[in-house]
Amino acid sequence: MTLYYLLYFFALPVNCIAMILVFIRIYKGPTVFDRIVALDLLITMGIGTIAIYSIITKQPLFLDVAMILALIGFLSTVAFSYYLEKRKDND
Amino acid sequence: MTDILFIILCTIGSLVTLVAAVGILRMPDFYMRLSVTVKASTIGSGLLLLCAAMYFNVPDVTNRAMAIVLFLILTAPVAGHMIGRAAYMGKAKLWKDSKLDELEGMYDEDHHLRSGQSKKELQENDEKKADIQP
Amino acid sequence: MTNQLFTNIMLTLIWVMLSGNTSIPNFGFGFALGFVILYLTVRGVDNRRYFYRVPRLVRFVLRYIYEMLKANLQVTRTILMRKMDVAPAIIKYPLEAKTDFEITMLSNIISLTPGTLVMDISDDKKVMYIHTLYYKDKDSFIKYIRLNLEIKLLEVIR
Repeated sequence: MTLYYLLYFFALPVNCIAMILVFIRIYKGPTVFDRIVALDLLITMGIGTIAIYSIITKQPLFLDVAMILALIGFLSTVAFSYYLEKRKDND
Repeated sequence: MTDILFIILCTIGSLVTLVAAVGILRMPDFYMRLSVTVKASTIGSGLLLLCAAMYFNVPDVTNRAMAIVLFLILTAPVAGHMIGRAAYMGKAKLWKDSKLDELEGMYDEDHHLRSGQSKKELQENDEKKADIQP
Repeated sequence: MTNQLFTNIMLTLIWVMLSGNTSIPNFGFGFALGFVILYLTVRGVDNRRYFYRVPRLVRFVLRYIYEMLKANLQVTRTILMRKMDVAPAIIKYPLEAKTDFEITMLSNIISLTPGTLVMDISDDKKVMYIHTLYYKDKDSFIKYIRLNLEIKLLEVIR
């Protein structure tokens, strides 16, 4: 029971605050690269949040979503950086 | 008894994630943000997933969670390496108080990286030789 | 070497099937049991390499986790302090690892340690450029990575 309260009133809010901070960086970010790194961080935090949520609801099926999210996060980061490296003029 | 273990894992995981977020907001240049955040977030999510795996304690769920953790640990350095390289070629600036940059001038026009002297030093050497010869 | 690893895995699977318990601690126990059985049965000096390698691997993993925790605490303190005590620099690091696999493992391990990040590897695979947060001087940094990470890693892989 304490675990449930801890997850609901500590872990989820802390993750939420962290996500808001990352969103500020996405808004401010001087270059494109800052925004990409922030998006990557956001996806990794999403995986952690899904893990917490699956404990709260006692539904291990949510971990499948986390797995797909990890794959998509890695592929998107690599694709973005590859594209930006090949681009001729960097504004 | 095992509840205490879950509580410790979840607390540390959430706090590490928060530290990563504060780090990405406070660090002054791109490379420092990159080197701080990628690993911290991997460790935070890894601890939370470990907690989930130990909480359910069914073999297939445990294997799935461990697979995600392994995947995160394997891919985070690769992604960081690629985005850092692209940023250096895209001329993301280093912080003004950086101590040393030995990568400067090491890239050719077609993005090949040399290991010995940089382009500037080679040019200077050529000029010296040209000075001596006549 | 691969033969003995294969035998060890087979012994582990047999133990797990016979005991009928597919939890991860049981897998670990089966592996340890198979290792002891192999150690007792294999004869000849040439075949002993496997038995040095597995304890070395375990020691390397434990040591690496310790290094990672230490570096993590340092980075956390840096982030949370009001005035940051950072001195970032990009340093050229001459490689001792030769093959692609060794270089990949080394760069993965360096990148996973908080505070250091591999920027790029030169085309002729002689030099690696590392970004670090805590720069004191060049020689001590190169010495630290060589003694703590590279030599230990090459001991395990080679």
